[in-house]
Order: sequence, then C-alpha cells, then structure tokens
Amino acid sequence: MKNVIEVKNLTKEYKKLKAVDNLSFEVHEGEILGLLGPNGSGKTTTINCILSLLNFGSGSIEIFGKKMKPTAYDIKRDIGVVFQDVAVFEELTVYDNIDYFCGLYIKDKNTRKKYIDEAIYLVGLNEFKKFYPKQLSGGLLRRLNIACGVSHKPKIIFLDEPTVAVDPQSRNNILDGIKKLRDLGATIVYTTHYMEEVEILCDRVIILDKGKIIASGTNDELKELTKIEEKVSVEVIDLDDKYVRKIKEFDNVDEVTYKNHVLVISYKKGKNNLGELIEYLKKESIKYNNIFVERPTLNDVFLELTGKELRD
Amino acid sequence: MFIHNFKYALKTLLKNKMLIFWTFAFPIILGTFFKMAFSNIEKNEKLDIIDIAIVNNSEFKENETFKKSFEKLSDENDDERVFNTKYVTEDEARKLLENEEISGYLIFNDTPKVIVTSSGINETVLKYVTEEILQSEELVKNVIEHKIKEQVKNGTIEFNSFDVFIENLQKEALEMLKDDNVNIENVSNKNLSYTMIEYYTLIAMACLYGGILGMVVINQNLPNMSNNGKRVAISPTSKGKVILSSVLASYITQLFGLFLLFIYTIFVLKVDYGNNLLYVILLALVGSLSGLSLGVFIASVFKTNENLKTGIVISITMFGCFLSGMMGVTMKYIVDKNIPILNKLNPASMITDGLYSLYYYDTLDRYYFNVVSLLVFSLILIGISIISLRRQKYDSI
Repeated sequence: MKNVIEVKNLTKEYKKLKAVDNLSFEVHEGEILGLLGPNGSGKTTTINCILSLLNFGSGSIEIFGKKMKPTAYDIKRDIGVVFQDVAVFEELTVYDNIDYFCGLYIKDKNTRKKYIDEAIYLVGLNEFKKFYPKQLSGGLLRRLNIACGVSHKPKIIFLDEPTVAVDPQSRNNILDGIKKLRDLGATIVYTTHYMEEVEILCDRVIILDKGKIIASGTNDELKELTKIEEKVSVEVIDLDDKYVRKIKEFDNVDEVTYKNHVLVISYKKGKNNLGELIEYLKKESIKYNNIFVERPTLNDVFLELTGKELRD
Repeated sequence: MFIHNFKYALKTLLKNKMLIFWTFAFPIILGTFFKMAFSNIEKNEKLDIIDIAIVNNSEFKENETFKKSFEKLSDENDDERVFNTKYVTEDEARKLLENEEISGYLIFNDTPKVIVTSSGINETVLKYVTEEILQSEELVKNVIEHKIKEQVKNGTIEFNSFDVFIENLQKEALEMLKDDNVNIENVSNKNLSYTMIEYYTLIAMACLYGGILGMVVINQNLPNMSNNGKRVAISPTSKGKVILSSVLASYITQLFGLFLLFIYTIFVLKVDYGNNLLYVILLALVGSLSGLSLGVFIASVFKTNENLKTGIVISITMFGCFLSGMMGVTMKYIVDKNIPILNKLNPASMITDGLYSLYYYDTLDRYYFNVVSLLVFSLILIGISIISLRRQKYDSI
C-alpha cells in the first residue's frame, strides 16, 4: 500500500518537556488512521509539525514523497485540516466562510461554487447557508468548521478532535461525513481521545502516550494485546464473598470484582463463558437482573499498557 | 488570490462592530462633544480681549520687536486684536494682577518674563505669544548674523556703502517680522483657535485608531495568534500576498472612516481646515499609514491576545493625543517647552502639528517636516514588523 505521509524519528521539545518523542509512522493512501491518546499525549503537536506550523528538533516528514516545508504549496494544495478549535470568521455567513477558505485553494469561481455546495451538503448545513456563526449551535459550528477544512476536496485530511463538546446528533453526522470523505478517496488522519470513535471509524490506530507510540495496528490487532477476551458484568443485589472466590476458580477467568452491586468477570478466552456463569448463578439461587457482555476495548488496551485510563 | 483575500478582509473589517465603533463612530461622537463643549468658549474667546500689562521699563522700551508686536496686537482699531495692554510700573502690574484686573504681565530684564497667577486660556495665550515673538526675534537675529558673515566671507561689504547695507538688512528684518513665517502679523484670534487644535487631535486620533484595523488583520493571518491564521498558514497561499492584501483592506477601511469624519467635521461641525485641503488629505493619508504601521507593529511583535493588543493601541493613541493637546492645548505647550523630543516621537503630535502648521503658517516647511517624520516613523515600524512577520514556522502555537 502506498504511503502518503512518512514521519521518521520526529522529536519536538518545549523547553524541558518532550511533547513528541522520536515518533515514526506512515499513513497509507485511502485509510483512516486514528491517533488515539489522552490530552497532552502529543497528537496535536504531531499534526502541527507535519503541517509545518511548528519547528521541531529532529526527524523528517514527507508527504506524497516530498519533504514538507512551509512553502511546499504543491503539497499544501492537497491537504485539508479541521482544527480542534473552531476557526471561522464571526463576521461572515456560513457560505462566505466556506467560500473564503476554499478560495485560498481554488481560484475558479464556478468550481468553487460547486465545491462549496457539496461541502455544505456533506455536513448538512443546507438550511443554514446565510446564518452567521454566532447563530449556530455548538454542533452546527463544528460542522461548519469541517466544511471550511474540506471544501477544496483535499487528498489528505487531518481532523483534530472534531467532535469535542458536540451533541450526539451532530456527532453522528460528523462521523458519517468522515466516512463519506474516505469513500470519496481521501486519506484521513483522525485524532481523538474518544476510543469509541476510533473503533467505529479507523482502519488503523496509533496509541500515543507522553509523545511516544505505545501501540499501533488495527482494532483487532490492538485488542489482541490484552490478556482478556471477554468481560461479563452482572447486576447482583447481594453476593457473598464465597461466591466471588468460587467464580475466580472457573476456567479462563482472569479477574473478578464485585463493587456497587455489579459483578465483573474478565475472561482470558472468549467461548461459552456466559452459559457457564448463568448455570452457576441458577444453581446457587443467586438473583440477578441485567447481564452485559463486552469485548475488550481500546481503553483496556491503554489501561494494560500504561496503567491508566485514556481519559485520566 | 490577492483580490479574493482583499475582498474578504474588507468584508470582515466592515462587519466588525467593535472596529467600526472605534474607528468610525468614536471620532465622530467625540467631535460632536467637542463642538458642544467648545463652541461657546470659542465664541466668547473671539469677543474677549485679554487684559494684560507690560512693565514699561527701559529694557522694554529698547526692545523694538516686542514693542511693535504688542502695539500691533493691542491696536484698538483692529477688530481682531488680542490684547488690551496697559503700560505700567512693576508695582502697578503686580497690583493689577492681584486684583485680577489683568490675566498676566510681561516684565523685561535680560529676557522677557511672563508673570501669571493661574493657568487658563488667557494666560496660555500670553505665554504663547511671548514665546513666538522671542522665537521670531531669534530667527531674525540668526538671519542677519548669517548674512553679515556671508558678506564678510565673500568680501562684498564695502565700508563706504555700509550704511546702505545695514539699512537693507533692517528692511529685510522688518519684512520678515511682517512675514507670516514668523507669526507676528498672523497672530490673531482666528489663528489662536483652540478648538481647532482639539479637532486636529481628533483627526490624529482617527488616523491612529486605524492601527486597530491593522492589528486585527495581522492577527487573523498569523497561526500563532488565531485559529483562522492557522488555516491561512496551511493553505497554498503566499504569506506576503495574504498580509499585503489584508493590510491594504484595512488601510482603505481606515481612509473611508477618515473620509466620513472629514465630511462630518466640515459640513456638520463647520470646522475650517484652511485653504489647503489637499495638504490636509495628504497628511491624513500619511497619518493613517503611521496608525496602520503602529497596529501592524503591535500585532506582529507583541505575543499576546487580541483584546490586550487593542488596549495597547487605544492607550498609545489616547496618550499621544493627550500629549498633543486633545484634553487641553496647555499640555501641548508644556510638552513642546519641556520635553520637545516627546512630541517629535509622538505620531499624534506630528499629525496635529502638521495640520496646525497648515492653518497657522504660510510656508510648508513645518508641514513637510511632520509629513516626513510620519513617514520615517511608519517605515521604521513596518521594517521591524516585516522582520517579525517573515517567520514561517513557530516554536509554539
């Protein structure tokens, strides 16, 4: 698969703090690559270095096989960025905002008009063309932010936490839009600290912590890094310690906890665990309400690799 | 690209209510207040002749320049005379001042000294006129000295015609004294209009407030200053083109604001800019450039948020206008007399002084000095800004 971005040994320091520590990775053409990590893990700094906005201490960055630099206009022409903070003009309408930013890339007015209409349709802002940013809700504003970043149909799109503080409806709309962009042929680098989004969207994931890559691969590959395959949670009103101890002795069980009337059992292997558990609960006449079965999440991967939660 | 960016820079500036208030509305509102506050003062000032006294000692009697000047300024037949002068002894003068029958008196020892007990418009006028006469006298002396030296150096003085030479010099000197260039003939109530200085500082303020526009457009284009700047920086557009078109848009917006202010002051407030409107316009163009460069300088050199930068531009402008006489012409007089360098570096003072010199003098030397000073001021700030703006990558954003 062709690499469109190649980052080698990238290091960026702020005084004594290493924000990015010897980072190397590639982005393949047509994929959605997730950069997952808690706040301060170096995701945004990495993107800003790639975009030549920030000086960096060492390393090299190539996009489309060429060295990236501030005056590499031929590369920049094919890049779109949606920044974490909304970047629009309060004095311009939705349409004018998109037109302004699109106009920095596309000179021809007719082409631009077509692209703007498509971007507005993509993010679902058709009814708000003449609205000013302050008249939009937080979610709609985020959608405008995306439209401003992608209206010129770039080949590579960087989306830096585009769904922060967004209502569920807008979030779904944004995620659908990103999938559409990928389907239209764009390569996407998506940073977030929401593991659910990465699991839904990304073909490949790089997990960052303290400026370093701690794991990378597909969702399934990453989940294989955990020693558990299944997690079962059961709501039990009252459970004696002797039962907890007994369950710990079951085959494949890695860990059992009972807190706040919820019994959580982590299994090393993921077959026939639920049936065996229900049978046991019945046999011991233990009353239970709800049972949830979960596959391990990227948060479990992160927890296991770093000893802390993604959102810590 | 240039036109596209220019168009949207213009649009964002004209739709920014805060900017429009400070650069368009505020000078007009302030001008209206000036009119309301000063129109009566001005009217009264023209009618009120200032009572003064001059100690009629031998030093005064021997000083032809002062004698003739004050005779002229106190001529009862002149409708626009400035002073009602009593020629008295020092004791009498002191008594008149104590009894508040005069605003001040002039006493000559080695140099003329103005004695006043309070500070007000009348006292300032007396001081100002005395200063002007002194400066004119000094100028004439310098010219004569220079001419004599020149003639001696060239060996063109013939002793048999020395009397004719002296006579000619005296004539020249008298001509110079009559000349507006030395401001004695020309000192009249019309030319001592203090409201005019207030309006001039108002124009200066409007020119310098344009700095806010320059500051805003630079902020919009710098990735370390705004999110929009990040978007612009990652686009395939030359930074120079974007900044130049944005700055041009802010300059035009500023000139449009000044145009409205001129229209308002000329047609509504009836401000008389003299017969040199083209020169006034040239000074406004250069003054606006200095305001713009001040804003660009603050935006590109100071690494702080936009509100604080706006505060810096407004503070510098208001302080500059204060020093150049916006809140009272006495301040201009005090600064000119005690710290002249301050007003030489103060763009508000350069603009005010340039406009005042157009109205006050018939020659353009002082006017051009101020125009050139403003250009130098602008070029220095723009030069420093360009060095700062040339950076393409940042250590932190």
